[in-house]
Amino acid sequence: MTSNSLPADADPRQLLADTRGLARQVRHDQRLTWVALLVLAGLTLVAIPIDWFTMKVDCLPPISLPKGQMMECTFDRRAYLWFWPPALLLAYAAIAYFYLRAARARGIGARVRPYVVTGAVLTGLFLAAGIAIRVYLATHDAPEGPLPGWFLLLDRTLAPWGIMGLALLVLARIERNVALLAFTVGYLIVALVPVNFGWAYHSPDPRLEFLPQQVINGIVLLLGSIGFFLAGRRRAASAPLDEQPVR
Amino acid sequence: MTDSAHPVNGLDDVVHQRVRLGILTIAHEARKVEFGYLRDHLELTAGNLSKHVDVLETAGLVEVEKGYEGRRGRTWISLTDSGRAALTAEIGRLKQLIARVETNGAGGG
Repeated sequence: MTSNSLPADADPRQLLADTRGLARQVRHDQRLTWVALLVLAGLTLVAIPIDWFTMKVDCLPPISLPKGQMMECTFDRRAYLWFWPPALLLAYAAIAYFYLRAARARGIGARVRPYVVTGAVLTGLFLAAGIAIRVYLATHDAPEGPLPGWFLLLDRTLAPWGIMGLALLVLARIERNVALLAFTVGYLIVALVPVNFGWAYHSPDPRLEFLPQQVINGIVLLLGSIGFFLAGRRRAASAPLDEQPVR
Repeated sequence: MTDSAHPVNGLDDVVHQRVRLGILTIAHEARKVEFGYLRDHLELTAGNLSKHVDVLETAGLVEVEKGYEGRRGRTWISLTDSGRAALTAEIGRLKQLIARVETNGAGGG
């Protein structure tokens, strides 16, 4: 690289393209997307038995029901109050730690703070919503009949997997990571539009209504982590060929 | 149009230099950057890079922080507010130059 001043007739397009190339390189070096997704996937999968065994389920006596009729059950995902909020905060703290450590080892700063702050704020909202609905149900009867679609969508959005996805959108924005944005949109569709092949209606235990979706969310996050890891390795392997330094 | 209105006349000699523009760009994106990262990515010798960093530090565009990690000395460079403003201005002028060249080129047919 020359250290001479830019000649008067130098192409400003080339200079601008060089600066953009450097900025893009730094942003790539700051990313640790696969670790973020791996932590979230790990949390989701580890939480499965915790959610299962701590969910309080009260059903009408298990009389034989006519075919196609659902049991009437009430349930309380108690882990939403005491497990998920601290676990999510710990997960975001772990992600921040790994990002900062990796960036520092590479010799640059990290861009993870807005993501972590967003995750923490959404976790607070999730906890507040959980408390609010319990306070409401303590003084009101549970609504009869199916809940409206907008309520179910809001409920899923403020569930752990919804807020994970919303925070990932912020990470994609601050990293200017189009691949992560595309992945997160797909993930949110899976998480917010529940996948149901009939297990919600034919399972003997109401907890089975939630289990498959949680497994699917965890697997999607895990596959995303593997995908970003492999893409990063492939990019690192090909970097000397397609990334020319500024000249 | 007068010469003073031409974007070239607004270019800052300190910033408008490939290496120093590269240092400012990397420091801006990275928030703070270690000397070795700059040396590797700009493909400079340590001495050459030091000279450019000194110029930027003297101009108040970057801050240099020296420290140790274990027994290894590390030098971190970060942008000052002036450096951020200078970089933004330089990028703006480059875009103006490109727009002017393209306009003249289109006009000249």
